[in-house]
Amino acid sequence: MCFCSIMVRKRVIKMMFRCEWKKILSKKINRIMICAAAVLAVVFSCFAIGSVRYVDKNGALHTGIAAARKLSADRNRWEGDLTAEKFAEIVKSKQKLAKKNPQGIPDDAYGKMIQSYGDIESFVINVVLNDAEYNENVLYQMTEKQSKELYATYKENMQKMAGEYGETPEQVEFLKKQYRKIKMPLSYQAKDSWDTMETYVETYGIVLAVIIGFLASGIFAEEFRTKADSVFFAAKYGRSKAVKNKAAAGMLMTTAVYWGGMAILTLVSLGVMGVSGFRTLYQIDQPYSMYVMTYGQYYLLMLVCGYIASLFAASLSMLVSAKMHSRNIAAGIPFFLYCLMPFIGRMFSSVTVVFRLVPDVLFNIMANVKNLTVFQIGSIVFRQIPAVMLLYTVLSVLLLPLVYRSYCRYGLRPR
Amino acid sequence: MELRFNDVSKDFAGTHAVDGISYAMGKGIYGLLGINGAGKTTLMRMLCTIIQPTGGEITWNSSNIFKLGAAYRDILGYLPQDFGYYPDLSVYDYMMYIASIKGLRMAEARERIKELLGQVGLLKYRKRKMKELSGGMARRAGIAQAMLNNPQILVLDEPTAGLDPNERIRFRNLISELSEDRLVLLSTHIVSDIEYIANEIMLMKDGKLFYTGTSEELISSMEDSVWHCTVPKQEADGYLERYLVGNIKTTAWGAELRILSKNPPTKDAVRQAATLEDVFLFYYGEKAGDKDDVSM
Ligand SMILES: Nc1ncnc2c1ncn2[C@@H]1O[C@H](COP(=O)(O)OP(=O)(O)OP(=O)(O)O)[C@@H](O)[C@H]1O
Ligand SMILES: [Mg+2]
Repeated sequence: MCFCSIMVRKRVIKMMFRCEWKKILSKKINRIMICAAAVLAVVFSCFAIGSVRYVDKNGALHTGIAAARKLSADRNRWEGDLTAEKFAEIVKSKQKLAKKNPQGIPDDAYGKMIQSYGDIESFVINVVLNDAEYNENVLYQMTEKQSKELYATYKENMQKMAGEYGETPEQVEFLKKQYRKIKMPLSYQAKDSWDTMETYVETYGIVLAVIIGFLASGIFAEEFRTKADSVFFAAKYGRSKAVKNKAAAGMLMTTAVYWGGMAILTLVSLGVMGVSGFRTLYQIDQPYSMYVMTYGQYYLLMLVCGYIASLFAASLSMLVSAKMHSRNIAAGIPFFLYCLMPFIGRMFSSVTVVFRLVPDVLFNIMANVKNLTVFQIGSIVFRQIPAVMLLYTVLSVLLLPLVYRSYCRYGLRPR
Repeated sequence: MELRFNDVSKDFAGTHAVDGISYAMGKGIYGLLGINGAGKTTLMRMLCTIIQPTGGEITWNSSNIFKLGAAYRDILGYLPQDFGYYPDLSVYDYMMYIASIKGLRMAEARERIKELLGQVGLLKYRKRKMKELSGGMARRAGIAQAMLNNPQILVLDEPTAGLDPNERIRFRNLISELSEDRLVLLSTHIVSDIEYIANEIMLMKDGKLFYTGTSEELISSMEDSVWHCTVPKQEADGYLERYLVGNIKTTAWGAELRILSKNPPTKDAVRQAATLEDVFLFYYGEKAGDKDDVSM
C-alpha cells in the first residue's frame, strides 16, 4: 500500500518534470539559445584548433587541423622522466644556439630543436627564477652543474616560497605539504592541447553561464509573463511539488546545457588536437603552484568550476525572477557576475580578501591556480579554489529553498 | 459539502474590494452578478487561495481553505478572468502540464484530457498551439483545464466575456452539463448568462452581497414594477431622467419605453412580466437624471 503510493508519487513527479521540460523547450527563444550554445561550442573548438602554431624543420609555420598533433609529436621526443641529464642537454643546446645566433635564433633552428624542448626550457627558467619575473637570461648563465642540480634548487626554492607566502606557521607547513606531493623527477609528455584549451574552456564557460542564466530566469517568470499564475497557484501542487519541480528542472537544465556544451567543445577540440599530456604534471608550467595536479585533472577542475559557476548563476537567476516575477533583471545576472564583476574584483582584489572569493574566480582558474592564496580559520588552512568551489556549491543549494519559499508564498501574507 | 464565507474582507490600499461577506454554498450553480469593480474577481481569487483575505475566513466543510492547502486545491477547478496560458505549448501539452501540477497520473491524465477536449470540442485542435486558438477556443481550453481534476468546486470568472452569441449559448450549455454534482460559482455582468442555469443568484456591489436568492425570488420581488408605455418622442428625455428605463425603441408613433416603477408612469402604461434583466437594472441602473430624485 505504502509502496504503491510512493510509486504513484514518483510517477507524478516524473510526469511533472517531463511537462516542465516541454514547456521550457516549447519557447523558440530557448531553443535558439540552446542551439547557439552548441554552435558556439564548435566555433570555440575551431578557434582553439586554429590557434596552435607549429614550425617545421625548415622553419615554415603551420597552423590548422594537423598543427597540434605535429607539435605534440615533435615535443614528445622528450617524453618520459625529466632527468638531470636531459636538463643539462637542453640548457647546453639552447646556450650553443644562442651563442651561434646572437641576432636571434632563425626559424629553422627553432623548428629543428628549440620548439621541441620549449616547455622544459621554460620549466628550467621558472624553477631557477623562483618568484622573479620571467627572464631568459638566467638560462644562458647556467653551468652544467647547476643544470644537473635543478631538482635540488627546485626543492630549496619551494621552502623559500612556502616561507615567503605562508603568513603563519600553519600556512607555511600547508604549502610545504602541497609541494611534497610533487614527485621528482617529473615525467614529461607534450601538453599543448590542454594548454590551448585553457582560455577557450573558461571563455566558453562564461558564454554557457550567460545562456543558462537566461534559460533559468524564464522558468520562474513564465507564469507571470503569460498570466498563467492564477491557474498554476490554484492547482493542487501549485504551491508545493510543482515549484520544487521547477527548481529541479532549472538545475537539470543547467547540468544538461553545461555538460552538453562542454562535451562538444572537448570532443571536437581534443579529437582534433589529441590528448597527449593528460598525465603531465601542471608544475611543468608553474613549478611553484600549490595545486599539484596533472593536466587532465586541471582540465577537469576547470570544467567542474565552470559547472559550479553555472549552477550558482542558475540559482541566483531563479531566485531573482521568482522574487521579481520577471526575467528582466534575472537574465542579466550571470553577465554581471562573470563579465562585469571581474573588473570590479580586479580593482579591489589587493585591498580586500573578499574579492578573492567572488564567483568569477571559478571562471578564472587559469590565473588563480598560479596564486599562492590561502585562507586560514583557526588552525585550518585551505586554498582559494577549493574554498570558492565549496562556497558557491553551498550557496547554489541554499538559494533553492529561498526560491521555493518566495515563489510558493506568492499572493499570501508573510507568516 | 459546504463552502462558507465568514465575514470575509479584502482591502487593497484604500479600497474595500470585498467588504465583510458571509455566505454559505452547497451543491449547485451560483451566479455572481455585479458591475465592473464590484469585487467579484477578488472574492473568487480568495476562494481559489490565490490571495488571502484581510479579514474573516473561508471554510470548506468547516476547515480553513488556506490551512487545507493542497487538499483543498485538489477539489478545486478555476478559470480566471484573464485566463493566461503557455502560448507555445500545444493544447494537448498544455492540458498535460496542468494535469501534472494537479497531480494526475499519466494514464489518468491522457484519458481525462481526451474526454474533456471532446466535451469542449477541441479534440481536433489538440495539436494546435495555445496561442493559435481563437478567444472562444482558448476559453473552452480554460474550462477543460479547470475540469481536469474533476473538481467538486468549479470557479469560473466571467467565462463568457468576449464571446459571440453562439459561443455564449454553447458555453452556457457546457457549464450546465458540467455542473452536475458540483458547486459551480460563475461570475458575470451579463444577466442572460446565468438567468436560466443558476440555482442561486448573488448580487454584488461595492464588495458586498446585497441580495441572494433564486432567480424566481429575485424576479418576484420586482413583480408589478415593470411597465411598457409609448410616449411622444420629445418627452422621452424627461422619462429617462425620472425613471429607470430598460429599453427605448423609437417608432413612427413615438418612443416605446420599458420602465421600472412601482406606479404606472403613464395612464395607458401596460404591466409587463419582470425578467432578471429588470432586476439587474433596478439594482445597478442609474437614471439619466439626478440620483436622489427617485420616485419609487
Ligand atoms: N491587485 C489590486 N490592487 C489594488 N486594487 C485592486 C486589486 N484588485 C482589485 N482591486 C480593486 O478592487 C475592486 C474590485 O475589483 P475586482 O477585480 O474584484 O472587481 P470585479 O467585480 O471582478 O470587476 P470586473 O467586472 O471589472 O471584473 C476594484 O475597485 C479594483 O480596483
Ligand atoms: Mg472581475
